[in-house]
Amino acid sequence: MQSLYLEGNSALHRLSPRAKIFSLFLLGLVLFISNNIPLLAVVMLLTVLAYRSVGMPKKESAARLKPILLTIAFVALVTFIVNPWHQALATLLRLTALMLFAAAVTATTTIAQFMDEITTLVRPLERIGWVKATDVGLAVGLVLRFVPEIIARYHAISEAHAARGLKVRPTTILTPLIILTLRDADNVAAAIDARGIRRHVS
Amino acid sequence: MNIRFESAGASFGARVAVEPLTLSLTENRLGVIGLNGSGKTTFARMVNGLMKPTTGKVIVNGRDTRDEKTALAEVGFIFQSPQNQIILPIVRDDIAFGLNGRGLTKAEIEKKVELVLARFNAEELAPRRAHELSGGELQIAALCSVLATGPDILILDEPTNQLDLRNRALVQKTIDGLEENVVVITHDLELISGFERVLLFHEGKLAADAPAAEAIAHYRELAA
Repeated sequence: MQSLYLEGNSALHRLSPRAKIFSLFLLGLVLFISNNIPLLAVVMLLTVLAYRSVGMPKKESAARLKPILLTIAFVALVTFIVNPWHQALATLLRLTALMLFAAAVTATTTIAQFMDEITTLVRPLERIGWVKATDVGLAVGLVLRFVPEIIARYHAISEAHAARGLKVRPTTILTPLIILTLRDADNVAAAIDARGIRRHVS
Repeated sequence: MNIRFESAGASFGARVAVEPLTLSLTENRLGVIGLNGSGKTTFARMVNGLMKPTTGKVIVNGRDTRDEKTALAEVGFIFQSPQNQIILPIVRDDIAFGLNGRGLTKAEIEKKVELVLARFNAEELAPRRAHELSGGELQIAALCSVLATGPDILILDEPTNQLDLRNRALVQKTIDGLEENVVVITHDLELISGFERVLLFHEGKLAADAPAAEAIAHYRELAA
């Protein structure tokens, strides 16, 4: 199983997981409240620096960001077609900044740290009976765990297509990807059950 | 261990995976063999309560698996693909993960993680990432994650599947040295050749219940 976490000793690695999660939350608020292009541009540049500071090799950075960058570019393009240009530019800057900082946080925080923090943050909601905090932490942890798994599975299926001389098409990739991902999810759920991880949830 | 199958069987809809059987299992080492789809894994899942019997009942150390909401705490299970068993990418985190929510302090959890890794001289695995481990190391990591919680019975589903000779030997040595009661489901007949009792499943039925040599000979006849 692969991980989005990158070993390192950067400032972001040393920052507490709680501070990083709160910073991400606040950044999201600021980015979506403001439509000021110069401000958004400065914030985006800062997030570029933050992402570069984690020490990830360029090739791996590009591989990680490419799919989401393409999605953002598509959203910005559609916004440009139906809205004024400055709105499209704001969308592009806003989403890129948010993605870069989120990627930096994910690369410098282990899944276990994420789960601990989310569980602690959600604990007040448990006291009023809304949720089980450990379940929320586990759910977030599993999402983070599955992201690189699904990407690796996508590449494996693409290679299998290439090996058979088939053209890679979304229609022929999605079905096996969904089936295999669901099967993996089933296996992991059985492992969670067998290890008694939710047995002691109060 | 004390496992009792009382007319316990399992079906998936109309398909019978394990026909009702009555058994008492008290041996320290139990092997389970059979062709693919013969019902071995379903049998094992019935022992730890992941699969509830659709007929009869299974009693493990005095507890009826049907009454348990989740799998039994005293039965650890190592799956065919240990990478699916390992939830968190770093070995140390994963072992600790299974110990959360049991009223232990962080220091106690860390101590337990250290102890279980030390038991297999595998301390160096602690900071490593699961996807970088060899097949044998992955099995050891999965084993540690299960044993850290202190089960009485350990079920290993095809533990030497897809391992090279070196890793296979590592896993065999580890299994031989376990103090816990062990149930091994396998196609690797050498792995269970010294076991005092081996169950042979064939098309969902118990075809043999005998010492290893006898059950293996019967299996070879069935497979021929």
